[in-house]
Amino acid sequence: MTVAGPDTPTAERAFGPISRTDIVRYAGAGGDFNPIHHDEEFATAAGYPAVFAHGLLTAGILSTFAAGWLGLERLRRFSVRYVDQVWPGDTLVTRGEVVETVESADGLEVTARLTVHVTGEHGAGPRLVLTGQATAAYPGTELTGAGDGRD
Amino acid sequence: MSHEDLVGRALPSYTFTVEAGKVIEFATAVLADDALHFDAEAAAAAGYAAVVAPPTFSAAAQSWGAPTEGGLELDLSRVLAGGAQWEYDLPIVAGDVLTVSGEVVSVEHKTGRRGGMTLITRESRFVNQRGELALTVRSTAIELDRTPADRRSQDLEDA
Repeated sequence: MTVAGPDTPTAERAFGPISRTDIVRYAGAGGDFNPIHHDEEFATAAGYPAVFAHGLLTAGILSTFAAGWLGLERLRRFSVRYVDQVWPGDTLVTRGEVVETVESADGLEVTARLTVHVTGEHGAGPRLVLTGQATAAYPGTELTGAGDGRD
Repeated sequence: MSHEDLVGRALPSYTFTVEAGKVIEFATAVLADDALHFDAEAAAAAGYAAVVAPPTFSAAAQSWGAPTEGGLELDLSRVLAGGAQWEYDLPIVAGDVLTVSGEVVSVEHKTGRRGGMTLITRESRFVNQRGELALTVRSTAIELDRTPADRRSQDLEDA
């Protein structure tokens, strides 16, 4: 039996809309109480239109998507680069695409490029807020020829 | 405003226990729905000793050892997250006792679309109660030279 990587070479999942409550829940769970994320007066005094989500909240939601698609126990590496802010009311659209499949001592190793776009409350967007990458290993698997994701 | 002298500075080491309740709280906050995070029986059926931490659970370690206690003294109104990378060597499950150590690995000053900024990258290693490296995290914080409000008032003065 050979299961060559994730079930599908691309995947997509939407989360949200993200509320102030979601942001505050993450502040507590993640222990990040920078007031820029929960104190409207602090955020507007710094020149922002509102509080905004922790980058790590968006990264965490992207990891939920990536782990669901690639397999939680398969993940070997996960990285994110923050591009823009997520505001209350934004809906997150997470996407992944397998960009490389190689054989390693560990079985097949699959690398996927990840993105998060937001669409706003009033139909604004989509706007790119985060890019990322994940590598997952599938022990005991090998490339099977056609359709294995190899270029 | 220069932070170059921070390179190589060790971050305070600390130890914490991965509690099942914290795993569930964190998994809920990142909108996770995999039973491995919530249900000890599902985790056991998959071969884990207890519920499994989500991929970015290391962020919750801030609850035990805030990075601002590393003496970085960043101005929070000017700080943004830049990016992060997690490397997984072993699963982290409830009941694990993790010791975290790390240091500042690079400091760069750049000019971007938000003006001048300092990028400070830290590496933290999470070692479990058996002395095994479970996780390595590199994260970059951006300290803007000026907040958006600072920039606006500067623009008014310049006009």
